[in-house]
Amino acid sequence: MLDTQPATPESAAPTAEAPDTPVATLRDLRVSLSRDGTSSEVLRGVDLDIRPGEVLGLVGESGSGKSVLALALLGLLPAGSAPRVAGQLRVAGVDMVNGAEEERRLARRESLGVVFQDPMTSLNPTMRVGQQVVEAAGSADEAIRLLRAVGVPEPERRMRAFPHELSGGLRQRVMIAMAIAGGPRLIVADEPTTALDVTVQSQVLGVLRRLSDDLGCGVLMITHDLGVAGQIADRIAVMYRGRLAEVGPTRRVLNEPRHPYTLGLLASRLDFDTDRDSPLRTLVPEPAGGAAVAGCAYHPRCPLAVDRCHAELPGLPELPVRPEHSAACFRAEESRDRLLEIAHREAAAADAAKPTGPAEPAEPVVGDATAVEREDRPARPGVVLATTELECRFTVRDRRGRKAPLAALRGVTLDIEAGESLALVGESGSGKSTLLRVLAGLQKATGGGITGPTGGAVQMVFQDAGASLTPWLTVRELLTERLRRPRLDRAERHRRVVAALDSVGLPEATLDARPAELSGGQRQRVALARATIVPPRVLLCDEPTSALDVSLAAHVLNLIQRLRAELGMTVVFVTHDLSVARIIGDRIAVMYLGRLVEIGSADELVADPRHPYTRALLSAVPGLDVELPTIEGEPASPLAPPSGCAYHPRCPVATEECADTLTGIQLVPIGPRPPGPARTAPPSARRAVACVHRGEI
Amino acid sequence: MTFRFFGTRLASLVALLLVLSVVLFVLQEISATDAAAATLGPTASPEAIAAERARLGLDGPPVGRYLDYLGGLFTGDLGTSFRTKRPVTEDIGSYLPATLELVLFAFLLALLLALLFALSSTLRWRGAGALRGLLFVSSTAPTFLLGIFFLIVFYQQLDWLPANGRASGGAATDGPTGLLVVDGLLAGDPAASVDALRHLLLPALALAVGPALAIGRVFRSSLRTTLDAEYVRTARAKGLGERAIVVRHVARNSVNAALSMTGLQIGFMFAGVLVVESVFSWPGLGSYLGASIPVSDFPAVAGVTFVLGAVYIVANTAADVLQGVADPRVAV
Repeated sequence: MLDTQPATPESAAPTAEAPDTPVATLRDLRVSLSRDGTSSEVLRGVDLDIRPGEVLGLVGESGSGKSVLALALLGLLPAGSAPRVAGQLRVAGVDMVNGAEEERRLARRESLGVVFQDPMTSLNPTMRVGQQVVEAAGSADEAIRLLRAVGVPEPERRMRAFPHELSGGLRQRVMIAMAIAGGPRLIVADEPTTALDVTVQSQVLGVLRRLSDDLGCGVLMITHDLGVAGQIADRIAVMYRGRLAEVGPTRRVLNEPRHPYTLGLLASRLDFDTDRDSPLRTLVPEPAGGAAVAGCAYHPRCPLAVDRCHAELPGLPELPVRPEHSAACFRAEESRDRLLEIAHREAAAADAAKPTGPAEPAEPVVGDATAVEREDRPARPGVVLATTELECRFTVRDRRGRKAPLAALRGVTLDIEAGESLALVGESGSGKSTLLRVLAGLQKATGGGITGPTGGAVQMVFQDAGASLTPWLTVRELLTERLRRPRLDRAERHRRVVAALDSVGLPEATLDARPAELSGGQRQRVALARATIVPPRVLLCDEPTSALDVSLAAHVLNLIQRLRAELGMTVVFVTHDLSVARIIGDRIAVMYLGRLVEIGSADELVADPRHPYTRALLSAVPGLDVELPTIEGEPASPLAPPSGCAYHPRCPVATEECADTLTGIQLVPIGPRPPGPARTAPPSARRAVACVHRGEI
Repeated sequence: MTFRFFGTRLASLVALLLVLSVVLFVLQEISATDAAAATLGPTASPEAIAAERARLGLDGPPVGRYLDYLGGLFTGDLGTSFRTKRPVTEDIGSYLPATLELVLFAFLLALLLALLFALSSTLRWRGAGALRGLLFVSSTAPTFLLGIFFLIVFYQQLDWLPANGRASGGAATDGPTGLLVVDGLLAGDPAASVDALRHLLLPALALAVGPALAIGRVFRSSLRTTLDAEYVRTARAKGLGERAIVVRHVARNSVNAALSMTGLQIGFMFAGVLVVESVFSWPGLGSYLGASIPVSDFPAVAGVTFVLGAVYIVANTAADVLQGVADPRVAV
């Protein structure tokens, strides 16, 4: 066991309070923030206790007020927003609303620890990390001890590093080391793993869980993902529009949710059991404007809303025969059964409407055994994009500032067939985005070959729709821009623009809006409309849903599937999330450090992953009933990729030959496992793995 | 902070100085002034001029003459002034300390005012608004107008401060540094230093106001941006006091934009000093240049230009290097 006891016995010192007194107490907490002169109530009466030693998962979508709650707990509401706070908020015995500034500062110093979302921007870039930890820990020895406790290797050496010299996972561990300095009674973690790779995310969650157990401090774990909360929380609180919708023990909330919103969130969550063949379940979109509504804030989106919900604000009563479990819904008792009923009806309707649903998964080309050994072959008929040993090298500055060659792609051979949808999956540094940019013609390859359409026939949709739309152009201008080439008259042009907007589910009224006036989901729709107004042969998507809330992401994924079916496009979709890849892709290609490590049909690959890295990725996807996996190490730096199979230093089944330069880096076709011995069965043409063990271990 | 970082900055410093020398040489070449004729005066015979040209090496090929010129720069030979008939280096040597003292003092004053300007509004000090307003209004006036205004108010009306020169009763420019304030202290004569300071105050203030506002505004806006940074929020969350936050986390991260603005402003100050010197009858390079330009004394003008240009380049290189010291991500 790691040494996580604080060096000084301060936190063990008896306090006047009983041991199970909540470390934080919120009573009817209301916070108003003003922006551009208009004030709006962000927290609208929150009652919550956080107990010592528990991890409380606070779950909500963007705009729910969860981050404001975190800042209020810290007494750090942004002064620029002229915050007005009412109600009661005590943290470790200190009144964080009306307490003296000095008292609140001492509470932050002694009783509170914080982990923010992005460790790169949350650490001072010009101060050595050691010094930053010392500021919280008091001495260098204590700082080293803390860094060791959170699993930073060689802490003495890391003390002298600047934040930009550390990897993302290490930076977040440094943040956690600062948070636990001095033995806090409450750690507030605001989306601490959202900016990290999936395999690193599970490690960081593991550290937080262990620290909570070892130090006995409470942890408020804020996240947008019920799966993440499910993995480490003892209790879950679901927040909607500044109020708690549901609070209860983790298992109860996840398995027997009672608030329609929680049910909706759970239903729009993707996992490996989600039905691939019908459109994803979605929540009714949030009404535009976000103006205050009377009654339950969720009623405009709620399928169960009755008259009472429009008029009255539901309290948060504990449910009968369900101690500790409360839901703010008048229909909490019947909601689950009623919602399941509605869900069944919807599913039946979706089944009936299937022909107009997403394209049927492309048929695997059985019998074409040589499909993956295509180094010597040009693009075959039916193949729209093909790459051969594609390489892409950049010269970059390494962490010490020296010029260094970076091989983003190290020999990628890939055929993408017309009409298929291929999901490229990998963590940061895998080269997935570089590959997409090369396919788009935005980036020149430095080696290998590529054949495929260029120009307008290839369109791209980016992660951050806000940044990829020119801010001063209206939606009309953004869309008409792409209609220049075919000489169209005004009326025809207008008709096409309106049709394109309609196909992505946006009203004509959006035409004269500028990107800043649209919500994130709407902007991504405009980006899609722009890409498809002149139907491209290939649509390239770079994580278009990763910045969106779950319910919005499901809408956008459905939309991409529908457009693909209607327009007969080929789709290449880059994502770090295998559950998204499985929904969107007929095939999935897994990348690690510039190479493909596994490729196969989505169902086969998820059901029977052969590469150890694919297995790690699959196990790292937070699921509702999944234990935290143990994955070693972080993705290696693309500046110094390990020899042979780049994954071998992290691989649990690596043998000596894995480090050999030339083994295990070529994709080798493999057969489906169930029928017959693997080597003799006819290999499924589109299934291949780059592992010397072929997934036999 | 790497050796390579210093190396590249040093190399670009040398390269810029070479470019400056080429520009000055070309200007000298294409100017209508014939050095030989100018040296010998209007009465010289064509033969005498031709002989002088040969003596000065003016009839060789341009590349050779440039190399001579460059060699001169390296050995501190900037040619001979047509007007004073003395080596330009010597002339500059006698005028430079006065200008240097004025600019240095004005520079410190500008930094101080800039710092006050930025911090007063960031930390919401009392009276910050008045200070900012005053600085703002003063900086809208051209430097010479500001100088004349100061003369009228502080000399003519109030008679608090002297109006011209570097010291009362003539400048004693024979001290070891040539900077009167420093020399006074070195010689154990604080009264002389105070006297020099009193003479410095008005011209330095006139010179400092513009740069102070420019640097202060840049520093203030980056202070404000930095105060909203997430790592400052982290520092607050650690429970650090506001002063520790500003000193340890905000200042160093805000200083970079201000540093590059400072480098630029030093250059502008050397340009502005020429005007201020003539308003306050300051016996510096400005008055030397002012006397040299009307008589087309090209070696003198080129020499002063080279010195000022070199100071400008060195100041900006220093600002660059300091940026690297402040932010390890720059020093790559």
